[in-house]
Amino acid sequence: MENSNNVEKLHTDLMTVNMGPQHPATHGVLRVEIKTDSEIVAEATPYLGYLHRCMEKHCEHLDYRGIIPFVDRMDYLASMNMEMGYSLAVEKMLGTEVPERAEYIRVLVSELQRVASHLMFFGTYAIDLGAFTPFLYAFQDREEILRLFEELSGARLLYNYIWIGGVWNDINDEQLRRIAKFCDKMEESLKKYHDLVGMNAIFIDRTKNVGVISEEMAYQYGATGPVLRGSGIDWDLRKKMPYGIYDKFDFDTVVGKGEMGTVGDCWDRYQVRVLEIFESLKIIRQVLDGIEEGPIIGKVPKIIKVPEGEIYVRTECPRGELGYHLTSDGGKNPYRLKVKSSCFTHTSMLGELGKGQMIADFVATIGSIDIVLGEVDR
Amino acid sequence: MHKEIVEFLNKEVAGCDATTKEVEVGHASVVVNADSVKAVCFALRDSSDYQFNVLQVVSGVDFEDRIEVNYIIASFIKNIELILKVKLPKAGKDETVKVESVCDVWKSANFLERETYDMLGVEFTGHPDHRRILCPEDWEGFPLRKDYVVQEVYQGMEVNPASKVNQDDFDFLSKAKLDAANPKFVSGSWDGNVSPELSDALKRKMEGLESNKEK
Repeated sequence: MENSNNVEKLHTDLMTVNMGPQHPATHGVLRVEIKTDSEIVAEATPYLGYLHRCMEKHCEHLDYRGIIPFVDRMDYLASMNMEMGYSLAVEKMLGTEVPERAEYIRVLVSELQRVASHLMFFGTYAIDLGAFTPFLYAFQDREEILRLFEELSGARLLYNYIWIGGVWNDINDEQLRRIAKFCDKMEESLKKYHDLVGMNAIFIDRTKNVGVISEEMAYQYGATGPVLRGSGIDWDLRKKMPYGIYDKFDFDTVVGKGEMGTVGDCWDRYQVRVLEIFESLKIIRQVLDGIEEGPIIGKVPKIIKVPEGEIYVRTECPRGELGYHLTSDGGKNPYRLKVKSSCFTHTSMLGELGKGQMIADFVATIGSIDIVLGEVDR
Repeated sequence: MHKEIVEFLNKEVAGCDATTKEVEVGHASVVVNADSVKAVCFALRDSSDYQFNVLQVVSGVDFEDRIEVNYIIASFIKNIELILKVKLPKAGKDETVKVESVCDVWKSANFLERETYDMLGVEFTGHPDHRRILCPEDWEGFPLRKDYVVQEVYQGMEVNPASKVNQDDFDFLSKAKLDAANPKFVSGSWDGNVSPELSDALKRKMEGLESNKEK
């Protein structure tokens, strides 16, 4: 009796631990201030801004074409998708028509980029949880996509490839054949990877019932993309509000079902991303069947002057929905270009997700929402 | 869709003065009174016709006399999106303008409003954690305002030391201002270090514009 009272009286202090800004698990320069009660996270506060370049301010004195390399540098793992959204926003304001072949190439490179980005997630997430080998497998396959992009645009990471009105460079038949071959190989090896990592007992133990995002919470925090779909919500912008020529293609939306534990846990988000690669490959195959000869860039005035007004365009990127709110005063450069970053909104969830978790589980949670700090800080 | 929303809002929230204007290019928006923005957001979220369940982004735009705050909201159930706009008259350089926070309606507003405060100096009253987010806590000024000039010294460090700056960068902005019809709409953060001939030309242009106005 006496003894148990003493235990209750035992006073434990909260210890403050800084995770980051240089920390392998934060995927960049994110700092999370954690108040820990022994191994348990009592409070987690994310601090952003270490990569803040105020790209929105730069855009205000660049012409419309000059902005494309800047949007590349937001989510540097999915540059093609960043360019796609921006070009769509300007084209919609200008009323430019994009030639059919350019539209096909755009979808092709966006989906290839999505595959590359999800492979990156697959590799780094396994590293977060202590498995190193999958990272090498993932990079081997990602390398092929990067090589192709290098041939197309001259750069491996920051492409400046999708231009206003079309694309910069044409793709040739030999490259298309190579992509077809890559699809077959990728599909086969991905099944193997998924069995190796996703079905691994340790991996499942580390991710099931961890970092559960409920449907209500996902909506409240404005989650989009794989995070939203991981919570069991059937929402894919490519299906619900098709942009470009996405309405021509037949593919499925992958939704988390809670196969290993609760709906919306880390395993569900992992599974959504991996299975989405298969869907992307499906789209790529349809592109290869449907692509025809033709011009690759539409008629765009030499000096682009966007008429006065505002527009909000969003597209489905690997990490969620990316939105551009473009305000124009009729001049040569945008009056204001605001970027809606999905990573930014996902980061705001960390505080609520972290509460009550073990520190190791918190690492798994950060990895599963897959943020790129270049896009968070812009 | 916008007209129905305006009708709905004017009926549901007294004194919100919702208006909309048809546009030729881009997207139309619904403008509401700044005082009733929270009530409007609650009404839009809870209405069975619209169910705006997601706040996508809070985007502030700085104009000469006012700051517009755009709440871009979407319904993932009804598959619609809307630009909801409030206009806040500006008081002066580096002075914040105030509007009520919508954090109780959508939790995502927390970070998004902090960013708008950090970049444009819009103060959100009733925000649970009202701090800067991208810039350091002790930073001065609001970078995305058009009249922003970067501070000279930060924590004892010179921000843009002469030995490290590229003069062309500064001149680039002044040239852009010379080319523009109204130089006030060109934002540039480094007004101080322009080469003398350019700054003289710019001064002459500004004086010319002002004397034109008086006439």
